[in-house]
Amino acid sequence: MILLAVLPTLALAVQQPGTMPPSPVKRIEVRPTTRTITAGDSVQLSLRAIGADGKPVPEAVVWVRMRGGSGEGTVRPESFWLVASSVGKFPLGLSAVVPGSRPFIDSTSVEFEAVPGPAARVEVDRSAVTILDGQMLRLTAAAYSKANDRTADRIKWRSRDPKIFAVDEDGVLTGLAAGSGQVTASVPGASAAVEVRVLPGTISKLTLSPEKPAVRQGDVVTFEADARDAGGKPIAGLTPSWTFSPGDGQLAADGRFVAYRPGVYTVTATLGRRSASTTVHVRERGVRRSVTVVGRLPRTAFLTSEVWIHPNGKVAYLGTHGGGDRVYALDISDPGNPVVVDSLLANTRLVNDMQTTADGNYLVFTREGAANRKNGIVIADTRDPLHPKEIAQFVDGVAAGVHSVYIYEHPRHGRYVFLTNDGTGAIDIVNITDPAKPVRAGEWRTDRPDAARYVHDLDIVDGLMYASYWNDGLVILDVGNGKWGGRPQKPVLVSQFKYDLDSLYQEVEDVSGPGFARGTHTAWRQRGGKYVFIADEVYLNRPIKGAKDASSSRMYGTLQVVDVSDIEHPKAAAWYTPENGGAHNVWQVADTLYVGAYDAGFHVFDISGELQGDLRAQSREIASLNTADMGGAVRNAAFTWGVVVNPKDGLAYVNDFNNGLWVVRVDPKKATAPMIP
Amino acid sequence: MKRPLIALALLAGCASAGQSAGVANCHPDPERSEGEGAQGAPCPLRSAQGDTLHRDYLVFVASEGNDRIALVRFGQGKARVEREQRIGINPTELVGPHGLYVSPDGRWYFVTTAHGTPNGALWKFSTATDEPAGRVELGLFPATVQVAPNSHYAWVVNFNLYGEMTPSSVSVVYTDDMLEVRRIPTCVMPHGSRLSPDGKRHYSACMMNDALVEIDADRMELTRHFVLTAAAEHGMTGPVHPVEAGGKGSHSMSPALTCSPTWAEPSADGRTVWVACSKSNDVVEIDVVSWAMKRRVPAGEGIYNLAASRDGRVIVGTNKRGQSVSVIDAASGRELARIATTRRVPSGLVISPDSRFAFVTQEGVGSEPGTVDVIDLRTLGRVASVDLGQQAGGIGFWKSEPPAE
Repeated sequence: MILLAVLPTLALAVQQPGTMPPSPVKRIEVRPTTRTITAGDSVQLSLRAIGADGKPVPEAVVWVRMRGGSGEGTVRPESFWLVASSVGKFPLGLSAVVPGSRPFIDSTSVEFEAVPGPAARVEVDRSAVTILDGQMLRLTAAAYSKANDRTADRIKWRSRDPKIFAVDEDGVLTGLAAGSGQVTASVPGASAAVEVRVLPGTISKLTLSPEKPAVRQGDVVTFEADARDAGGKPIAGLTPSWTFSPGDGQLAADGRFVAYRPGVYTVTATLGRRSASTTVHVRERGVRRSVTVVGRLPRTAFLTSEVWIHPNGKVAYLGTHGGGDRVYALDISDPGNPVVVDSLLANTRLVNDMQTTADGNYLVFTREGAANRKNGIVIADTRDPLHPKEIAQFVDGVAAGVHSVYIYEHPRHGRYVFLTNDGTGAIDIVNITDPAKPVRAGEWRTDRPDAARYVHDLDIVDGLMYASYWNDGLVILDVGNGKWGGRPQKPVLVSQFKYDLDSLYQEVEDVSGPGFARGTHTAWRQRGGKYVFIADEVYLNRPIKGAKDASSSRMYGTLQVVDVSDIEHPKAAAWYTPENGGAHNVWQVADTLYVGAYDAGFHVFDISGELQGDLRAQSREIASLNTADMGGAVRNAAFTWGVVVNPKDGLAYVNDFNNGLWVVRVDPKKATAPMIP
Repeated sequence: MKRPLIALALLAGCASAGQSAGVANCHPDPERSEGEGAQGAPCPLRSAQGDTLHRDYLVFVASEGNDRIALVRFGQGKARVEREQRIGINPTELVGPHGLYVSPDGRWYFVTTAHGTPNGALWKFSTATDEPAGRVELGLFPATVQVAPNSHYAWVVNFNLYGEMTPSSVSVVYTDDMLEVRRIPTCVMPHGSRLSPDGKRHYSACMMNDALVEIDADRMELTRHFVLTAAAEHGMTGPVHPVEAGGKGSHSMSPALTCSPTWAEPSADGRTVWVACSKSNDVVEIDVVSWAMKRRVPAGEGIYNLAASRDGRVIVGTNKRGQSVSVIDAASGRELARIATTRRVPSGLVISPDSRFAFVTQEGVGSEPGTVDVIDLRTLGRVASVDLGQQAGGIGFWKSEPPAE
């Protein structure tokens, strides 16, 4: 009798697959109904399960979670607070479970979008202009939030002196009478003013300089207009409108022109009823060169990560990935025959980054995937460069893992290593003045909600750190320069360069859905120049359907050239977008930029002179190499991680994630032999 | 011509063996009797002479160190990797497969990947082809996973190994659509979770609270907890009280913790929950009805994961620091054997539904391969071993079948 009584109970309790009745819930109501939220803000979601009769289903357990955008925010599970840490999209999955029935699922109808906060400032492309009576000139302006996100506010233009000049809704000024005044560009909460001076339209002569310049593709020509009055005297400060044709290049509002293709272009400046043109003869840039693979060290046991060259130029260190627990020490004194001489084992399965001290005596490398799941960094003695010896580890507070390191030595404050903390998204600062006894010295993190903060890479030049801070963009810190009061233990924010990642990579959303992972991944401050090269890492949301192995995914990522000549106001200047891959790590020597572009292979660019526009379109690419190899850990698929150029031999040591090290020479330009008839 | 004859002989043998052994509800088709949701053990397979016949046993194994999922076949005294796949979307990001479980219907296997940025995920794959069938992002460091007997829900603990030392949660995923339908806050660093055999209650260990947590699986609500600290063991209703363990951003052990539980394993009859205390090297047996401790059973050093045999005879545990496996008699609490593992850091284990073999993963250290040892629970000895991807941890039993050709 007892057995008979128990068995039916068990049968009910253990519901078999496919037997669950449909849910009584027909829809889930989500409030607030406004689907936008300010980046940096939070909103509490309220959910109600509604039945077929239009009334709430009281026993339903409702739930919401994100189907994308976890790099930009989170939904607090205990409270349904949606935290939007940064600008992005948050497609939501909704569910309602009524015990004993199938869950009701709605994974398509609700998507929140985090938008920039209210405008805190307006920036106009000029602070003052001088135009002529009758001249038309367009001003441009953009509004930015306190978090440095560009807002979508439409700029409202107003002339404070409408008898002197008019301005329309697109910012086009028209001089009406001689005099001075102000035009304002405003959005709710912020505005900026530009001084406008209108001169009588008495130009008798207008010329352009340089006249008929002959340049190469990619050379930036800065034109200036020379206006003279009837007496032949120059009229200073006039701001012309610029146009050019054919349209295969770029002409900035300040007269800087770059042509993408060889040919003859016409550039025109207009001042009122006067205009002047000149032609620009553009020839081929002619920087293309061949490459030679000088040496090769295939790796098959592990995937390959970072490469680093000891200051003596005769030893390289090569990291391992995908289960790799070692750093190889390579003898590269004969670049044609790089040889593994020794290796340093560590409790890790991923060595993502490494660097030696300037004197070459110590090496620091990162650990992720440790056997005991306690990660950090290793400090090794490299006074015998081919045989590094571990002397210390640092694990305090970085058990989640360290992805990147940068060593910085300050004459007064000592020697430090800056770490990117996988767990907190902070930059951790460790004093290694005594390398055998690393000591935590401080940390710095971006001022924003903690959810989804991530810092990926670091570079330091002249006491200024250039941190690739994922959704927070490029962050520039004073870590010892001192001008902004920073020191290694206490960095001070100098400036931030953010850009609309969703807009830049709309293609990725189109092919794999909203909420894909993307962010600023690497930054390199040009040595001896005014630019910072930043590159993004962008992932598809899911593998490509029906594809396998190397074809099942691809990387995206544009390299941007940011002008930091005014370091408190970084400005985008130029870019390079690999055709089928993503720019990953970069290296620069003088006028040459080397790029590891993942699936797109290895690329070399001429970055001489001023940079503007699309570097690839203007044939600044010097060389490229598809680093695929049938002998790698992953066969016949390039995945170029990065490159280091050895100052001792001038060769590029290119590390491919799939197959090891390549030693590459960019061949000298061949002299063109004179044609003999 | 031979196969049908053998099959008939097996079936005939099964019926007689089941009756003679007094097994009233065994199923003659092992494919339908295996898995957590099945009722009744498979009928013992015997030849006409009464000897147990060899069968092949297939388990899936997750290797956290190099993102590999392997299908291991064990039969005729040998184990080998039958096939292997890489898990992940982006080649350069290690996703760290940690937990693994095969759905009771045998069609799918589910894998937690722990190393997201910041969140991990639960993946669904076809057992037959390894084809992905869905992925859902969960919390921080999703670890142990189990699919409910009805195959519709997966239960995953969000271990939160690397985040701030704050209470974490248990995620419930509707596996048909691979959508998380509930995340239940529980305690600090939940780990080692299992459902009761009827799927009505979910148990998970709270590493940094010295507690066991019980969830009502139907209502998806936390109901009780049990404090495991030595000499202070007691059961309570409601959630675990917040405990400040470790500092901000730190995962150092609090000196007040004596147990540091890593696994909760209900017994085959559902009346008992066994909890592994990794710090005190013993197993706590808790009576589900009275919610009281029955006893503490000594185990090996760093007892980590547990598995209960379906016949109710033994509890098997991996001794993570002791590089061994403890086999404990469930009735007496006596350790029947302590068996050395092939490699360092033994981690996960699963017992075949016929209660004959335990499959034990070992993580190894660094670039050492991961390993699966097969332990015969009758002879209490290791009978086979096979290397596979690094940091082998999660393991799930798929099926047994006639030996492969």
